[in-house]
Amino acid sequence: MKHIRFVILGLVLVFCSVSLSLSNTLAAPPESDQVLVYSWSSNVGPLNPHLYSPSQMFAQALVYEPLVKYQADGSVAPWLAASWTVSEDGREYNFNLRKGVTFSDGTPFNAQAVKLNFDAVLKNHERHHWLELVNQLHAVDAAGGEAVRIIDEYTVKLTLKDAYYPILQELALVRPVRFLAPAAFPDDGDTSKGIKAPIGTGPWKVTEMVKGEYDVFERNDRYWGEKPKMKHLVVKVIPDANARAVAFDTGEIDLIYGSGGHGAGQIGLDTFERYREMKDIVTAVSQPLATRALALNTNRFPTNEIAVRKAILHAVDKKALVDHIFLGVEEKADAIFAPSMPYCNLDLPPFAYDPAGAAGLLDGAGWILSKGSVYRAKDGKELAIDLCFVGNDALQKSVAEVLQGYLKKIGVKANLIGEESDSFYSRQKSGEFGLIFGDTWGTPYDPHSFCSSMRIPSHADYQAQLGLPMKAAIDTEIGKVLVTVNEDERRRLYADILTTLHEQAVYLPLSYMTAIMVHRENLEGTGFGATKHEIPFESMRKQ
Amino acid sequence: MLRYILKRLALLPLILLAVSLVVFGILRLGEGDPAMSYLRMSNIPPTDQALAVARAELGLDRPLHVQYLDWLGRAVRGDFGRSYVTKNPVLDEILYYLPNTLILAAASLLLTLVLSVPLGMVAALKKDQLPDHLTRGLSFFGVSMPNFWFGFLLVWLFSIKLGWLPPMGKGGPAYMVMPVLTMSLMSLGINTRLIRANMLDNMHSRYVLYARARGLPESVVVGRHVLVNSLIPVITAVGMHVGELFGGAVIAESIFAWPGVGRYAVSAIYNRDYPIMQCFILIMTTIFVTMNLVVDICYAWLDPRIRYEGGGQ
Repeated sequence: MKHIRFVILGLVLVFCSVSLSLSNTLAAPPESDQVLVYSWSSNVGPLNPHLYSPSQMFAQALVYEPLVKYQADGSVAPWLAASWTVSEDGREYNFNLRKGVTFSDGTPFNAQAVKLNFDAVLKNHERHHWLELVNQLHAVDAAGGEAVRIIDEYTVKLTLKDAYYPILQELALVRPVRFLAPAAFPDDGDTSKGIKAPIGTGPWKVTEMVKGEYDVFERNDRYWGEKPKMKHLVVKVIPDANARAVAFDTGEIDLIYGSGGHGAGQIGLDTFERYREMKDIVTAVSQPLATRALALNTNRFPTNEIAVRKAILHAVDKKALVDHIFLGVEEKADAIFAPSMPYCNLDLPPFAYDPAGAAGLLDGAGWILSKGSVYRAKDGKELAIDLCFVGNDALQKSVAEVLQGYLKKIGVKANLIGEESDSFYSRQKSGEFGLIFGDTWGTPYDPHSFCSSMRIPSHADYQAQLGLPMKAAIDTEIGKVLVTVNEDERRRLYADILTTLHEQAVYLPLSYMTAIMVHRENLEGTGFGATKHEIPFESMRKQ
Repeated sequence: MLRYILKRLALLPLILLAVSLVVFGILRLGEGDPAMSYLRMSNIPPTDQALAVARAELGLDRPLHVQYLDWLGRAVRGDFGRSYVTKNPVLDEILYYLPNTLILAAASLLLTLVLSVPLGMVAALKKDQLPDHLTRGLSFFGVSMPNFWFGFLLVWLFSIKLGWLPPMGKGGPAYMVMPVLTMSLMSLGINTRLIRANMLDNMHSRYVLYARARGLPESVVVGRHVLVNSLIPVITAVGMHVGELFGGAVIAESIFAWPGVGRYAVSAIYNRDYPIMQCFILIMTTIFVTMNLVVDICYAWLDPRIRYEGGGQ
């Protein structure tokens, strides 16, 4: 009897398993030589142009376009606006819209559509408070004015509260000011609650989204500019960096493109190094996109002493660091902004690697290394610094360990504090750090948005600079540089701000972050976008 | 028996309530701040004002007990809130991914049983001979090998070197081979050893001696008596394997880009998507408790020697 029951139980189990396994439905993205396959860590999201996560910025940039487009040299070029004029006081911008542009549903792109989109963004201005452009426009509306006015079918006038110069750079951002087709607006016009469909003017349109598996984009045949070479773009969902490398090795994906490094990156730098050495694989590294740096707290013992800060900067062999941790993928950085960023080509003298000089500086400041001890001390206090990083960020951890070694050589003790990311960011906000990792925001935010944020107490930069005797003067200059209409004055102010921060040794720049790209020889027309969120898929062609 | 089942089922809501309270508390008392994670995912600088807006939007600005009671009140009606990240109803999201994980878990369980029973038998019958050594080696390998590493080795061999199997994604049966092998490796190792040990134990029992004394052929002794009795503890093990399989699914789904609930839960943890984590843990609790109950019932059905409190037979 017992064995019959076993047989019954077995059969039930087999039946359940097999029926479950067979229920495995077959869905598949398009496959042909007209399909370009890329991968991302998640689905691209609902692609609402006026909202943030979970929409992925690179995908928003495929479907929606800006009035002006950010260029690699930091300037902006005409895009959906064919030209523009600025009033003498720098507060009014007249945009002449490009004619003959249609949304992918066939409706025309015109001043009404522009106004509709701006209104939707401004209605939700609280959420975009971080963006000065929105604050500037909202302030005009709130004062009873009309920030966005339709002049005629193809002309729109924007009125700002102040002569905020980076307005064009901010109009070029991927979000929130890009343009959704009027037909895709919800009935009440409030896009912050959702949209009917992701319809834009961009080179691609979304045709299929399969949660957890892939998203499919199709060439927008109505596109006004250069149309994509490929018919389809498939974005597979692959969260794991190693799995992505395997997908490339087996031909499941055609392209690896994005930031390097495990975690947020597309593939680990060691994997990139492996591809570099393979003959039939093409690899490339972009121009600098942002700066990887640490901020030194001028408001906290012992980094409140400039001699200590300068000694730390001289103690680090960045060349070795870049070669061995970043495997040469990123370039050594000597200033907080790369010289290729606008207003940043200042020829600042670098803090060269000079451990003997660093020790001399500390000796001169009274930090004495007594016999038998490893670390220096003054007035009975040990020269020790809290070095804060995100504990599970492998790259930050290895950099922190190397820095600890360099600092030990000059008699400075570094206490490594690796925490989970939220605690880490709380430290940035509160200023509870000696040395802390903090990357610049990169193109197109550098230098203006990044400098602007130095005035806000919840930023690591504000906290780090707080001990500088000239902090108030720096903040005033930042306030001025953002609204001056005089190009020369702007240049002079930036030079002043950045030189002061450099001389005061507030930052330990490590490397200029880059994007990496890996593909096979049969993929042509590849290149890097001007910002890390704009991937030029349209020019790529698979042979 | 029925009373026993009902009693056990009645306990389920209490267990879920306790689990929900603990999970809710632990998530909130931890260091993390979902508003901060949300802003970082959105590439918005976390100014105090931005944080306040995000907190209000996610409902995190209210006192903890209000948040919990509000959540509980809606959860009992089947509304587990909306994901902080996707803004979709949590239950819809999890139920979308759950079947994919069940498919993998079911196939892995099947594979474990189909392979471990004959392997364990052979090892026991050929004790200390070559088949036994091989099987024990395999078990040792299965228990010691980290499953993520095994998964990558499979990919390297079958997808990169040989090109026989698709490395990732969901599709036909070929897509399931490697994830299922990865997930079942450990249970397979444990189960094989368990069956072998049980068989050896039973073979030295008196009833086997009597069976042989009665002149029953060896195949009947082994097949009908030893094997059947050796399988009973395996039922208990299966209950535990289900847990292992769901744990293994988290890894296998990440390696093989399989759109399952394990991978989804991991991303929810990274993003501090509390509503998803809460619902996921409750569903897993339900599955575990139910599986244990099913195992106990099967156990009783198969082995009348087992008595239940109050139930009796």
